[in-house]
Amino acid sequence: MPPQAQQFLDTLNSTVPLEAYLIVGAIMFAIGAWGALIRRNAVVVFMCIELMINAVNLSLVAFADYLPDAGGAGVGYAVLVIAVAAAEVAVGLAIALAVYRTRKTVNVDEVNLMKG
Amino acid sequence: MIVAFVFLASMTLMCALGVVLSRNVVHSALFMSGSFLGISGFFVMLNAPALAAFQVLIYVGAVTVVILFGIMFTQRPQVRRFRTIINRQTWSGLVVTIGVGAFLGYVLSIQDWSATGPGNGPQGPGPLGEILLGVGGAPPIFGLLFEVISILLLVAVVAAIVVSRRKTGEGVDRGVEE
Repeated sequence: MPPQAQQFLDTLNSTVPLEAYLIVGAIMFAIGAWGALIRRNAVVVFMCIELMINAVNLSLVAFADYLPDAGGAGVGYAVLVIAVAAAEVAVGLAIALAVYRTRKTVNVDEVNLMKG
Repeated sequence: MIVAFVFLASMTLMCALGVVLSRNVVHSALFMSGSFLGISGFFVMLNAPALAAFQVLIYVGAVTVVILFGIMFTQRPQVRRFRTIINRQTWSGLVVTIGVGAFLGYVLSIQDWSATGPGNGPQGPGPLGEILLGVGGAPPIFGLLFEVISILLLVAVVAAIVVSRRKTGEGVDRGVEE
């Protein structure tokens, strides 16, 4: 095997640095924030918030695995964040359902008054 | 590792873009579950297989189904031109978002992470359970947080039922005579 190919294989097998995970998380957070800012449908806004929550979870788990002194606490926080996100989805979709029942729309720029 | 990382990162980020830019709401939900699958693959790479199982069960299973039910209940058939799904803040929102992403990327990459290495986290369900309960050297605050999360889930379920319950005589489903 030529040395260039061996070097290429070594590069492919090397471990991924921590920055890679963090930057993927940052980009995913930014995409979720963009969607939450521009979309009109409230359900899609919920999905984008879920994307942001998952990006933060990815960063937490990456820190828990890479930092020697963290003791893996980030994984515990990630479980708590998942539980809070599940509760948020349940309540948020219930609110969207109630809004749709009274207003016949879930577009966030048409539901701009908090009165029935 | 690099190959798996590049595959998972492209899958996650492309599905995230698909959530934002898809004109069909159901496609957005399916893209969202694809993105969650990519994140669970990252969890496997980060030596947290129990958390990856939680991710698949809770997000890809439960949250996606709940959101699909929400779509089923709230969407009318509508014109799906691109201008109708976004509001007027597309470009200002894009500017803000690129600013946020660039700031986060800069702050995270300017730091010197060379002293860190993989393999420090809890490797299996047993150590993860000890962390969640705050025993075995984990911060003891996790015991309290665990209980608070239990109460929160109960309150959220009750609140979801109360908020979405239809009072008698209010609102009629389409096509259903009362």
